[in-house]
Amino acid sequence: MVKARLRIAVDDSYSLFLDGREIGRGGGWHQLTEYDLTLLLEPGSHTLAIEAFNAFKQAGVLVGLRVELADGRSVEVVSDQNWKVAPNTDGRWEKRTRARANWPPATVMAVFGQAPWPGIPGVLKAPQIYPVVLQFWQAGWFQIALLSLCAFVVAVCLRLMGKVAIQSHAQQVVQRERARIARDIHDDLTAGLTQLVLMGEVARSTLPAGSEPRQRVDKLCEKARSLSRSMNEIIWVVNSQRDTLHAVASYICKYAETFLQTTSIRCRFDIEEEMSDLPCDMGMRRNLFLAVKEALNNAVQHSKATELVLSIHRQGQSVVVVMEDNGEGFDPALADQERNGLSSMRQRAAEAGGVCHVISRPGAGCRVEFVVPLVCATRLHPNLLSRFWKRRAPLPATPPSAPTVSTPTVHPSPPTP
Amino acid sequence: MNPSDTTQLPAKPVAPLLHKIAVVEDLREIRESLSQLIGTLADFKCVCACASGEDALKQIPPARPDVVLMDIFLPGMSGIECTTRLKVLLPDVRILILTASDDEEMVFPALEAGADGYLLKQAEPADLRAALLDLLQGGVPMTSGIARQVVDYFRHRAKSRDQIVHLTPREKELLIQLSKGYSNKEIAGKLSLSVETIHGHMKNIFKKMHVRSRAEAVAKYISSHND
Repeated sequence: MVKARLRIAVDDSYSLFLDGREIGRGGGWHQLTEYDLTLLLEPGSHTLAIEAFNAFKQAGVLVGLRVELADGRSVEVVSDQNWKVAPNTDGRWEKRTRARANWPPATVMAVFGQAPWPGIPGVLKAPQIYPVVLQFWQAGWFQIALLSLCAFVVAVCLRLMGKVAIQSHAQQVVQRERARIARDIHDDLTAGLTQLVLMGEVARSTLPAGSEPRQRVDKLCEKARSLSRSMNEIIWVVNSQRDTLHAVASYICKYAETFLQTTSIRCRFDIEEEMSDLPCDMGMRRNLFLAVKEALNNAVQHSKATELVLSIHRQGQSVVVVMEDNGEGFDPALADQERNGLSSMRQRAAEAGGVCHVISRPGAGCRVEFVVPLVCATRLHPNLLSRFWKRRAPLPATPPSAPTVSTPTVHPSPPTP
Repeated sequence: MNPSDTTQLPAKPVAPLLHKIAVVEDLREIRESLSQLIGTLADFKCVCACASGEDALKQIPPARPDVVLMDIFLPGMSGIECTTRLKVLLPDVRILILTASDDEEMVFPALEAGADGYLLKQAEPADLRAALLDLLQGGVPMTSGIARQVVDYFRHRAKSRDQIVHLTPREKELLIQLSKGYSNKEIAGKLSLSVETIHGHMKNIFKKMHVRSRAEAVAKYISSHND
């Protein structure tokens, strides 16, 4: 195709559509407007549509299209009875590629140049019309893809929200259960053990001092007392009302004070004031407490110290517990890791998701430092993310010294891990 | 109890006067065992054993005990509320809280309510006796952990304009030293004070706390009866 021109005049006014796209509008019966459609007409079939308007009666349309082909032939389309008139009631008629069967043909009033429409003096050239270049985001396939992506994202979000809701519900259930277990242990076991101890003491008081039965009852009482102490530790660990940094600090201090009271080591505290009510999960509390217990035990067994400073501070998203004694110290490189409980302290710290540093020199005391992340820092990683990845690819094998999940009940997780 | 307080007991009275003890404990076996055990302690006798706080408020005032051993968890009225009310009825009675677990966070509300000390139920009879004697000598239940909670208590109430809830700088200093783990004796040496003076300050701190909590309890009582 070499050239395509369309001339049009409408009494009163018109909008011109090619393939559903409006390419021009104008008005006035006394002037022809010429549109250059060369760039728009690709080989193939096209649809011309004209919306004409007249203020009094039916509108008159005068239109002609001449397409010159490369082989010298030309195609002409003129306003004649081959045009169909779309009723006003039809919507989007200009987008159709084919007239409906029930549309009536156009009425030819006269030949061009005769009354009622005499010759037209001038031709006005409309500016060049360029084909519409569709950007990729305007393409149908892209919009459909985008919509489906949005729908997918919404679906994933809903699913995650549902999961979070279920998990937080599960966590509440776990907390309630823990509170109940703590109460039950307290009400049944501790009360029972207390009765045992007291009844034992009553029995003991009736026996003559130094007699063999009395010694046996003594042992019985002592055993019941130590059971009761262990039970209290378990209650403290399980009790969800103690899941705060504040409670951890006060419990550890109380333990250290009581434990060191019977030794020659004086205990000093350096506890952060206004210790926050930040949540600490059960596993972290338990492991931190057991690590401190081990460290205190080491100090009593090996250090020959006279003073030990226990400090608990918050450092960003971690809690730092330091025990520093003024004892004789040791060379960590030469120390028997197993016997000195060093490996067990490291393991406890690792189980709580943290690290343990032991700094000591012969003659310069010993400093044991635990840096353990608070629950907020660990909550996202082991659960949402690792769960997400685990489903795709199995995690690399974890070293046996650091079990990944020490406390399945603490993180928000479904009941069956 | 603080060992430094128990070491400075005076010699036993020449003509032993039996100290009267009352027990408030809901579990029958524990209650009976405790009263029997008290009977075996030299200088002590059990004059009253109650199974609930409500019973205690009826039976204890006529029995006029010197010390009440109080369980915290009681059915109905809690041991803490019972402590507050008993202290209103009998301002001179000393109340020793008995707990099954060594959780100071649980004990503190009772100390705040007016209790004079606390002890594990499973404590050995010798410890029970020492604690009772300490209480009768006017001992103050102050460990480093309690000191820390007292500091927190006053810090949280410092915003109110009530003069009674403010600590003096000296009192604050003493509490901070205690919370760092120093004993009364060590603090006395450090600050050139006598142990008795320190003791006096501690009593005063508790008194401030008790006045406050009693006022709150009375206010609560009145408002609940006006509704």
